[in-house]
Amino acid sequence: MSTEGSVSNDREGPVKTGDERSFWGRLANWGPYQTLMSFVTISPRRQFFILAAFPILWLLTQHLGPMLQMLRVSLLDAYPVAPDVAQEFSLESYFKFFGDPIFWMPLFRTLIFAAVFTLCTLLITYPIAYFLARHVSRKNQMLLLLILLIPFWVGEIVRTYAIMILLGNTGALNLALKWLGLIDRPIPFMYTSFSMGLGMVYLTALYMLLPLYSALEKLPKSFNEAAADLGAGAWSRFRKITLPLTIEGISSGCTLVFLISTGFYATPVLLGGPSTTVFAETIAGFFHVAGDEWPTGAAFAVIMFIVALLVTGVFQRLMKSLRKGESS
Amino acid sequence: MGDYKLNRRKFIGMTALAGAAFASPAYIRRASASGGEVNIWTYNDFVPKSFKKQFEAETGIKINIRLVDDQGKQFNLLAAEQPNPTVDIMTVAGHRFLQFIDSKLLAPLDTDRLKNWGKINPTFSESDWATINGEKWGAPILSGMEVLAYNSELVSMEEALTWDTLFSDKYSGQTAYIIQDMMSIVMLMLGYDGNMVAYLNDPDKAAAIVEEAKQFLIRKKPLVRKYYDSGAEVQQMFVNQDIALGHSWNGPAAALINDGFPLGMTIPREGSYGFVYTYNIANNAPNLDNAYTFLNAILASPEIGASMTKASGFISTYKDASKYLTDLEKRSTSFPEEQLANLQFFRAEANKMKYGLVDPAVEAVKAA
Repeated sequence: MSTEGSVSNDREGPVKTGDERSFWGRLANWGPYQTLMSFVTISPRRQFFILAAFPILWLLTQHLGPMLQMLRVSLLDAYPVAPDVAQEFSLESYFKFFGDPIFWMPLFRTLIFAAVFTLCTLLITYPIAYFLARHVSRKNQMLLLLILLIPFWVGEIVRTYAIMILLGNTGALNLALKWLGLIDRPIPFMYTSFSMGLGMVYLTALYMLLPLYSALEKLPKSFNEAAADLGAGAWSRFRKITLPLTIEGISSGCTLVFLISTGFYATPVLLGGPSTTVFAETIAGFFHVAGDEWPTGAAFAVIMFIVALLVTGVFQRLMKSLRKGESS
Repeated sequence: MGDYKLNRRKFIGMTALAGAAFASPAYIRRASASGGEVNIWTYNDFVPKSFKKQFEAETGIKINIRLVDDQGKQFNLLAAEQPNPTVDIMTVAGHRFLQFIDSKLLAPLDTDRLKNWGKINPTFSESDWATINGEKWGAPILSGMEVLAYNSELVSMEEALTWDTLFSDKYSGQTAYIIQDMMSIVMLMLGYDGNMVAYLNDPDKAAAIVEEAKQFLIRKKPLVRKYYDSGAEVQQMFVNQDIALGHSWNGPAAALINDGFPLGMTIPREGSYGFVYTYNIANNAPNLDNAYTFLNAILASPEIGASMTKASGFISTYKDASKYLTDLEKRSTSFPEEQLANLQFFRAEANKMKYGLVDPAVEAVKAA
């Protein structure tokens, strides 16, 4: 039950004296805090540097730092070493790669797999993104996107095991085919480039889908309607309007998926077979199986990093020239 | 309940404490705590849960376990941490002793401080690999071997008595093995010393033998379903019926047998290799006395050895441990005498030369 006075207070809000101020109110009036704030905000340049400090520190310590450390290890003759053992700089680990062609095959295989799986991911996710962006009402788009995102709430390994359960000799797919009477004996889907490809496409689909959806969603419907009014068929409209105007999304999605695919380790190990050894497995071998040669593993990782960046650079240039060609 | 007032000093103090706690990895916090603990790097199930509980209750020493799954990882971690390691006890395979000893990562074991040393079967505690430079370097706890494991509903025991079956057309696409381990076994199949100790003074011959083994595995590559790395992988392949037979360590195979899976294992007539896991004390171990207390306690009773066998599937090195196993567990951890005669232990003397040749060969087989 409320009194008249309290109703009046509710309407006007609580009236606070100096002693009843909130924590933030007291902080704002606290002398040292005011001195600090006036020091921080004295000039736009100072504000910029203070705001930029944390992201820069993060990039340096969490991204660039480990990469530089990997580069350093790749240039050492031994790492880690026991106490009292001297380390020397050496290019021996790099010579090991360039001097022995047996190490080239897993690298080329990785690049080919990554390129093929990127293309497959694009072909599979483009129609889904198109349907979502162009044929689903805005109200339902978020709901469908959320449903597509559900598998990504769990980690890579769990999703990889889900593929194993699906494709194994006693997996759901073989059981279904057997139940339908289409096969007598299970088809060995697992430990092949098919199982590895399916796993990698499944794991990277989101990274392709979101840039594509974003590009398609921004495309005004009036462009296609105008083209249709002028007599352009569905295929012509797609080829001459939709595809060129979504090339940014294709480029971003392909770059992301390609780079992620080149670095995949657990998925090829779990789903791949004897003929699908990728370079990440070779690198990992040097860190813990093959004689514990960290510098060799680090050198191979640096080589892979540079090669992946080069391929991505060439791809980006190609996309840029395509965009220029379309616009001119 | 009284009012709790968060003043500025308390706020700053609590924030600093919470920040420091979150910033330091858990194992470092544990390692830097004063006494009352022992830090162990070991494989899953190598310290039985019931033993851990009892040991902690009786001694007040907390056991902190960091799981490892690879000898190389232990070596790298320890090398990176020396000369101030966070670990007291590690689990090194006997044939990897030399690498750790040469890098001054292990402390020699003072067996006079272990009153239960005599409870280890002398076959393991006194064998030639266990003594290096006149010192003992580890307490043997479990013994393993490379075996040919087979689904007994698909493959007969007679077929499994030779490694040739693993490479036969009949089981094409139904086999799996660890290439690195198979290199030693293939050398044995081809009539050579897979430890390569016999060729220490003849590196050219050693290189030729590794090349022969490599070419053999490349020729047989179309027949194999999967090159795998861990015991869990081969277990999964058997359970999913992705493979009918494969090379395996006896531990994972025995665990499947104990679970009732129709699996058998043999030591084929061409021979195979065995290894022994040991508990070792790290050089400069931070809790040396607690480490010895732990070793003494874990060696105390054959029942502890038996429970390690039950959990891991590997064979206990303790005297009389088999008395505490069920008939099924005994069957899954024992082999006929004629098969045991084919077994020899891995040796470390030629490891540097051997793995210098084998590692690139393994990559070549994978890449081929």
